[in-house]
Amino acid sequence: MSNSEIAVRVEGLGKRYLLPHQGQRKGLDLARSHLAEFLPFLAHEEQDYFWALKDVSFELKRGDIVGILGRNGSGKSTLLKILSGITLPTTGRAELHGRIGSLLEVGTGFHPDLSGRENVFMAGALLGLKQREIRARFDEIVDFAGIEKFIDLPVKRYSSGMYVRLAYAVASMLRSDILILDEVLSVGDASFREKSQKNIESIANDGRTVLFVSHNARAVRSICKSGMILDAGNCTFQGSTHDALAKYMQDLHHFDEDVPQLPGHTAYSDIADVPRLTSGSPVLRWISTHSDDGTETRQFKTGESMIVRIAYEGATAPEPYFAVLLQNEFAERVATVHSTHDARAVTFPRSGVIECRIDDLRVGEGIYHLMIDYGNYGGARANLTSLDCVPNAGSIVVSLNDYVGGVGFDGYQGAVHRSAWTLIDGSRHQ
Amino acid sequence: MTLKIIEAKSRRTLPDLGEVWQHRELGLLLTYRQIAGRYKQMLLGGLWAVLEPLATLALMTVVFGAVLRVDTNGFPYPVFAFAGLIPWLLFSRATQAIAGSLQENMALLSKVYFPRLILPMVALFRELFDSLITVAILIILAAVYGFFPSWKYLLILPALAMVGLGAAAIGLWVAALMVRLRDIRPLLTIVLQAGMYLTPILYSPSMVPERFMPIYQLNPMYWAVELFRWILLGQDFHLTPSFYVAMGLTLVLLVTGLFVFSVYEKVTVDVQ
Repeated sequence: MSNSEIAVRVEGLGKRYLLPHQGQRKGLDLARSHLAEFLPFLAHEEQDYFWALKDVSFELKRGDIVGILGRNGSGKSTLLKILSGITLPTTGRAELHGRIGSLLEVGTGFHPDLSGRENVFMAGALLGLKQREIRARFDEIVDFAGIEKFIDLPVKRYSSGMYVRLAYAVASMLRSDILILDEVLSVGDASFREKSQKNIESIANDGRTVLFVSHNARAVRSICKSGMILDAGNCTFQGSTHDALAKYMQDLHHFDEDVPQLPGHTAYSDIADVPRLTSGSPVLRWISTHSDDGTETRQFKTGESMIVRIAYEGATAPEPYFAVLLQNEFAERVATVHSTHDARAVTFPRSGVIECRIDDLRVGEGIYHLMIDYGNYGGARANLTSLDCVPNAGSIVVSLNDYVGGVGFDGYQGAVHRSAWTLIDGSRHQ
Repeated sequence: MTLKIIEAKSRRTLPDLGEVWQHRELGLLLTYRQIAGRYKQMLLGGLWAVLEPLATLALMTVVFGAVLRVDTNGFPYPVFAFAGLIPWLLFSRATQAIAGSLQENMALLSKVYFPRLILPMVALFRELFDSLITVAILIILAAVYGFFPSWKYLLILPALAMVGLGAAAIGLWVAALMVRLRDIRPLLTIVLQAGMYLTPILYSPSMVPERFMPIYQLNPMYWAVELFRWILLGQDFHLTPSFYVAMGLTLVLLVTGLFVFSVYEKVTVDVQ
């Protein structure tokens, strides 16, 4: 790779913060750590520091679009702040070739008493735009935000929706060689979010280098060309967007660290002590997912079968039911699989392991969370009472494979149906 | 293609005035934002900028002019005191504004990059703007008492700018120290209050014993106040060696302040 192709080069980047008052300290030692905060020449000890980012290295070529994934506190924001120049690293260095534009918050610099028009220029200048650039695109900004009538009103009179739309519209004018974007798609209503995502996609496809942080996996998937995972300040994964998202979802659901992370690993998760909604003592113990032949797996294909095994203890409900609920990455339910849907009456003992077999999984490509629910079925639908529910019991990765032929389909468009298309009248409208 | 290198040791860089110049549009807009923001939310708007110093002046006139009958070298007390009060108010407010400029704008600092030196500059410009309003009243007040504008009035603007630089000299130091020691701010308030009495605003310097004069005149604000009275009232103005020492010290403080500020502003976001 020649040097001119590199847009961002990060080498051993690290950032530590001073946290002098943690841990067990007594007497002189405590006094020293307090004093050292004000008098830097009294050296700090390693335990006084917290590393928000540790030894992160990567290279981005011109036109790379990388999604940065990680839980809260994993160092994503610190990394973006360092690259934006807001804070300096403690170790390492970063080279950025080209004009940098960063958007870490929508609406920075907005003043409630100033008009929308004044705020557009203010916020634009803070993003590094020249006044004449903003003037040239002013109408475009106002149009994007859809607030022509209110542009000369103070923004404190705006609804919160209008406010964020205008703020985002200004930011959408950012046209730097290197773009640093943090959670910019979390504003506005669903239709505005879609508009913003299209806007970012078009900016990104313009040959710019983009570092993109979002909790919206769909946006990461459709915008980014590669992915990176940060965990506790360390970069734990770099690779394709698909693999990064899959690994991130696994990490998120506390799958055992020792097992192989991708295809074919043990798909077992202990849910006896995980966060849950329960009235009384937990009943659900563990779950595992299996393919048709019984092998444990988390990888499934649309149209093929999936088996979920659930172990439970102390199910004292008079008429117990169990349910497997599939949710997509936006926590929207896409499938409900319920033991009461089975026409054959099954009796569940107080404790045991049950198996739920789904013959044809009809969800599209994507990562799905499994929610497992146990409760009492009072003889009618209206009387279902949930007694122990684990919202995040695990996750599965589904690939569309060749269930339907032809072109694209993703997991966000409802159930997948095979269909046949025939021309029955070609003479109309001629 | 621009190349930006970020590394740990850039902590020790010098103040980058070229970068400030590149961001001049932002500086102007931030100044406008602060001025407009301040006046738009107040019902009486710009009137407050006028009423506040006038109220102070009225109190001073009653206490020192009418009751205590302080010596004013023969000038009417209100115009004598106001000519001293205007530069002092600019100095005192600008020092505090510059000192607090990093803390006040933490919301911006932690989200956007721009040369941080813009913030104290914006604070200074905001206070200079306010003092233009009070200077206008001062000129009217002087005319009411029979002191009419002359060519010397052209010196008012450079004089205000010099007071502003003096405020920056102290303000930048305090802003830098405040990054680590937040407690310095109340201390600054006390020092400024003491400074007001150590400067010949309420009284004439002729009341100060002759042997203290060389030390008394080391206060740069002594010279600012005397300069204003010379411009507006035609009071005598003699330069003494103390003047050069005072100006030299201010300049040293200003230059070192710039350096200390640009070292410490880099850790503001981390210790907020």
